[in-house]
Amino acid sequence: MKILYIDTSTDYLYTGIVSDNILLAEIKQKFSHDLSKYALYEISEMLKKVNINPTEVDKIIVVNGPGSFTGIRVGMTIAKIYAYTLKKKIISISSLDAMQIGISSNNLIVPVIDARRGFVYAGIYQDNKELLKKQYIKFEDLLDKLNNYQKEYIIVSNDNLKIDNVVSYNPDILKIVNTYKDNEDINPHLVEPNYLKLTEAEENLQRN
Amino acid sequence: MKDIYILGIESSCDETSFSIVKNGTDEIATVISSQIDIHKKYGGVVPEIASRAHIKNITFVLEECLEKANMKMEDIDAIAVTYGPGLIGSLLVGVECAKTLAYLYNKPLVPVHHISGHIYANNLIKRLEFPLIALVISGGHTELIYMQKDYDFQKLGGTLDDAVGECYDKVGRVINVEYPGGPVIDRLATVGSHTYDLPIPLNDDSYNFSFSGLKSAVINLAHNEAQRGHELNKEDLAKSFQDVVVETLTKKTMKAIKEYQVKNFILAGGVAANKGIRSKFQELCEENKINYTFPSIKYSTDNAAMIASSGYYAYILGRRADLTLNPVSSVELK
Repeated sequence: MKILYIDTSTDYLYTGIVSDNILLAEIKQKFSHDLSKYALYEISEMLKKVNINPTEVDKIIVVNGPGSFTGIRVGMTIAKIYAYTLKKKIISISSLDAMQIGISSNNLIVPVIDARRGFVYAGIYQDNKELLKKQYIKFEDLLDKLNNYQKEYIIVSNDNLKIDNVVSYNPDILKIVNTYKDNEDINPHLVEPNYLKLTEAEENLQRN
Repeated sequence: MKDIYILGIESSCDETSFSIVKNGTDEIATVISSQIDIHKKYGGVVPEIASRAHIKNITFVLEECLEKANMKMEDIDAIAVTYGPGLIGSLLVGVECAKTLAYLYNKPLVPVHHISGHIYANNLIKRLEFPLIALVISGGHTELIYMQKDYDFQKLGGTLDDAVGECYDKVGRVINVEYPGGPVIDRLATVGSHTYDLPIPLNDDSYNFSFSGLKSAVINLAHNEAQRGHELNKEDLAKSFQDVVVETLTKKTMKAIKEYQVKNFILAGGVAANKGIRSKFQELCEENKINYTFPSIKYSTDNAAMIASSGYYAYILGRRADLTLNPVSSVELK
């Protein structure tokens, strides 16, 4: 069973190929502005390096957001087209879920992605369970909520949040794949980004 | 010679489209998913909403196209995709899709300029004859182009500010008609009279156009009439406005046709669906014995058939992109 993992939801490319519980190859690289240019190329080079033909992949696990709207669509388009045309199984997972995997702690785990203008995408987890539903939230409000739990917490993020004690996110791709690989696969047509936020135009329309 | 089948992909604005065209001229199947109803309530295309709709639609539209053609990806010789100009987020979905297909099926990837697509839309009606002058008019473009042969594009001029279609839509907003305003103005103009005095923009010897001044003139006119307590006659304003647009477009185009001594003229782009513009060119081309081609309605708005047609000639010329092809919002036609 060969599983391809794709996450382009931030300005990092996280991709890996797992075969029978072994991580054969992975890429974890920051692309400031040209992720869309290199993502597919890097994935193709990674598979080539380990002599895997694209048809040999059995399943794709793709991160469907939240994060950069454009970034999400890069990985999602690749994964959807891949799964649809070559009839591969596909599973989509949340970037925030992925970010809390690999941190073993009894404390609260809080993956945070900067959403600009003082807002973030975040969730609060304990023992792999979501205590606070993933959401688009003012960073201050998130910190208030965290303090209300009166528990130690670990913030996981690759963004500059201007606070201390942030653990940077370095995905354990094998562990993420193993956590989600048995999730029910979805019809590729119906795999959709989960932006966690309406567009500004939709928000303005709702407000009026 | 073996038949060449090109899969075209277009997603530069608010249409998700796939098409398969044989040998650059024979349309096998085209599917277009238009988002016009989604954007209507915002009074124009919202880029992020467009991008979101593209990714939602993309596999459905591809599937429908292959089914309609009764073909498989393996039967395709090359994949042609619009890489620009257009809305960057929208273009990205089409380009990423094209790159993925090219990679998975090991097919050549051919980058196509959106404007060349509009020009080659006419190639699906009748094989282009050279040399020619092409006038491309749409919501995003107004360009006058001279071609001596396939894929030889010489830009003579273009708009310095708003595109003609953009101007139509903005004037549509002034007279309070439903988006997109262009077709409505075209219809209103048929019953109105030219009663309002509007300036002919950039009335010079260049091949450039300017439509923002005309738009401002209409806004000022509407404002002044309102202040005077006069009700704006929509039909008459539509006719007055359309006359000025037709005058500026035809004057510069006919000048180019004469200067470059061509016998062929093609009209292209979404605004080529405008009956007022179409018929004036018809009249002038008949008078001057110029072969005149304009696309049918289905080929004038954004579609992938025109990208596949244009892509065929790019393919024959050996134009290729690799897996690092990136969309660009603004790029010269080459």
